[in-house]
Amino acid sequence: MGESKESLLERILDQASTLGASYADARYQCFDDESIVVENKELKSFSSRRLNGIGIRAVVNGAVGYASTSDMSKNRLDKTLQSAFKAAKSIKGQKQIFAETKIDKIKVKSTAKIDPGDVPPEDKFSIVLDANKAAWVNDSVKNAVTRLGLTKDSRLFMSTEGACVEVETTLVGLAHGSVAKVNGTMENVNDLGESRCLGFEFIKSEDWNSFTAEVSRLAIEAAGSKSPPPGTYTVLVDPTVLGLVLHEAFGHASEGDIVSSGESVLNGKLGEKLASDSVTIIDEGIIEGGYFYPFDDEGTKKEKTVIVEDGILKNFLHSRNTAHDVGGRPTGNARAQDFDNLPIVRQTNYYLKPRDNKFEEMIEDIEFGIYVKGKGGGGGQVETGIGTFTFGVGPSKIIRKGELAETVRGVVISGFILDTLKTVDAVGKDLKIITSVFGGCGKDAQRATVGFGGPHVRVRKMTVGGR
Amino acid sequence: MKATQLADLAVKKALNAGATEAEAYVQRTNTVLVTFAEKIENLKTVESTGIGLRVAVGKKTAIYASSILDEEEIYNVALKAVKIARVTPEDSHWKNLNKRFAKTPVEGCYDKKLETPDYKEITETLTSAVDCMKNYDKRIRPTRSLFITSVENVSVANNHKESIERNGTDVGIYLTAKIEEAGINSTGGEEQQARTWKEIRFEDLATKTAEKAVKYLKAKPIPSGNQIAANILAIFLSGPINADWVQKGRSPLSGKLGKQVASENVNLSDDGTMRGGLRTRPFDDEGHPTQSTPIIEKGVLKNYIYDTYTAFQDNVESTGNANKSYGYWTKPQPSPNNLILKPEKTTSEEIIRETRKGLYVEQTIGEWLSNPVSGNLNATVTHGFLIENGKETQPVNGVIIAGNFHELLRDGVEMIGNDLRSSMGVGVSTCSPTVKLAKLTIAGK
Repeated sequence: MGESKESLLERILDQASTLGASYADARYQCFDDESIVVENKELKSFSSRRLNGIGIRAVVNGAVGYASTSDMSKNRLDKTLQSAFKAAKSIKGQKQIFAETKIDKIKVKSTAKIDPGDVPPEDKFSIVLDANKAAWVNDSVKNAVTRLGLTKDSRLFMSTEGACVEVETTLVGLAHGSVAKVNGTMENVNDLGESRCLGFEFIKSEDWNSFTAEVSRLAIEAAGSKSPPPGTYTVLVDPTVLGLVLHEAFGHASEGDIVSSGESVLNGKLGEKLASDSVTIIDEGIIEGGYFYPFDDEGTKKEKTVIVEDGILKNFLHSRNTAHDVGGRPTGNARAQDFDNLPIVRQTNYYLKPRDNKFEEMIEDIEFGIYVKGKGGGGGQVETGIGTFTFGVGPSKIIRKGELAETVRGVVISGFILDTLKTVDAVGKDLKIITSVFGGCGKDAQRATVGFGGPHVRVRKMTVGGR
Repeated sequence: MKATQLADLAVKKALNAGATEAEAYVQRTNTVLVTFAEKIENLKTVESTGIGLRVAVGKKTAIYASSILDEEEIYNVALKAVKIARVTPEDSHWKNLNKRFAKTPVEGCYDKKLETPDYKEITETLTSAVDCMKNYDKRIRPTRSLFITSVENVSVANNHKESIERNGTDVGIYLTAKIEEAGINSTGGEEQQARTWKEIRFEDLATKTAEKAVKYLKAKPIPSGNQIAANILAIFLSGPINADWVQKGRSPLSGKLGKQVASENVNLSDDGTMRGGLRTRPFDDEGHPTQSTPIIEKGVLKNYIYDTYTAFQDNVESTGNANKSYGYWTKPQPSPNNLILKPEKTTSEEIIRETRKGLYVEQTIGEWLSNPVSGNLNATVTHGFLIENGKETQPVNGVIIAGNFHELLRDGVEMIGNDLRSSMGVGVSTCSPTVKLAKLTIAGK
């Protein structure tokens, strides 16, 4: 294809204006994705793909229509534009209004010294194989799966308002899962490992063999341990669990579209005190350890958004449309999984701001509680309408008389987020932000790579399920 | 060029480039997705295409995929796949690709109407479903809901067989609503997936959604306790019955063929041919015909499910369960087509009547967090009610139910209902009746 992507999109936008769209934008995306899986010291799969296409959004008489295609011939693109118009025209009595946003013309890239596409396949494979071999620490290990993920996501956004924003994000990482059997009991620990918005240099620099061995040891330890008795406890939450709970149980409720539809438990609560004084929650586009997200899929710059400040709800996350509907400014949170999808309001890197407590200080007065850890956890789910959350966490530790004691497994935590945040009574001084090339957050049938995290925090009341 | 021709072409190009075996999977889907709450918010149409090419050079294999379907790109895909395969290590288990191509006759899986979706009819039907919720109770606020239809065309070809082609349609609706009264929030939700438009019960689902939201205004957590009977869906087996899990040491059902793994009232099968099933199709993602496979009969484990690769290792035939569950660009692996727990004779009303103290679970979140390897089952109940002396009493939410699935299956399945509901729980098509389970623990206040 000789024509540049800019002129291709420009032509589509000109056509959209001619046909009578009051606003239109077009997004081109090229996504390279490579995955290598080694299971039980053998290659399970080596797969690569390239995803390529264009999505067109047109506003006609106030209604939004969207169509996309991976066939970029002129004929097909014309038809796609027509489909977007047809979709918009089928919607009656709707007016979507977009709040003003700053129009940018810019190109940005995450740092990648070595493009994963330039690395010979055998070099990639040998790192994964070595890491997998290192997981077989003793006979209790029955299965070990190591995954390498390498992605490069290039997106170009252009609109009839004159925006032209190009973002390229490289994300690489390695994950591992081990299954152990101890005295007839099986347990598995899957860990998302480490991912960074860097090039292949990150994969070369990490000690993956120690990482996979540690996952195996944790699986062995967990297989030989019990579950805690169900009940309500004081818990110390690690950054991974905290980040996940915040993202799922509070983050989604702070998304403008969920607020605007009346579904959010945070509806109408701006300015209210919802959490204890030590709780400050932030959504930020570029932060160490997190996902690199400088601009959203409406061309709006993603800056630092303070959601909760010292316990008070300050802001919601917005797209241009929800900013208009709910009231507020677009915050750069309109994100689309890919060119096949319309942008919807999503979090970027959502975290709790650290304070000044040390780890030991936070557990010293816990008579009986649980140190809830994320490594090997299963994730979680939330009902945003009420704020009920549930999470399966990884192998954790009992806290007895102010000290860490035995390991427990099969731990599930649950609660109502607005109650839980009020019982946060100590916030640590550490900060860890996590993202992953493998996982992602799902909403409305779209996935997005996000970052989440925070410090260690102590929660006075948490419902814990187990066996 | 037609999809079938592209698949054959890709195989040919891969062999020319030096592959000893090649399998092409070409997929075209057309999707319409509508998001709505009180009003229709957006309507989008998506046309997506892709090819996944799996090649072997001797015993070395690789997959390369692309979303672009033209001759030049097909050539490029073939070259890249072979280039990667050459440098990967040998897979000692590799024999050959599927040699048995055929179509099992299936019905109720294609709705011609969805080929040219009528946007106006869709938006009007959805608008009236929303009105139906609002008319049920003035306090109801319809919240974010989704409607989706898709038409899928798949062609599979390999070096042993010329391409075969299948078509399928899917329709799904996900409704949610909310009520807020005196500071108390309550939600309701219903969903349905089907293969044809006319199967979707728009009004019925809307009414049930509203009903649920109203009913659960009175819900509260209950105290913790043991040994409370509960009803949950059986979705725990899709991993452990997968031959790949068994062969790789991940399955708790390894070595259990022919043994009692469940109580005698449990009969479970996997059926890729059931009429209108959510994952019914004439052939699997390797071109192998689908079938009905008994998994558990009277509590005894009868079979695992296989693709060609895992079947070779156990010296059996593929069961037609090769699935590219994660997309055309991934390697096909065994996974269930439609898992069916066979219904018994009792109605769900009778089950409630015969329960002295129990929890009826309507809806949970987080059940997918359960661990199929250790069997640890847990879920948070968002919509449930207490059963006391055979009667429905207090609505309940915010409690965790937990148990060990394998123990439950062996001696916790007290009663199985006569109803049957299809769902896509955790991405697996499952049909299950109401089940009464003993030996679950409850964590509440």
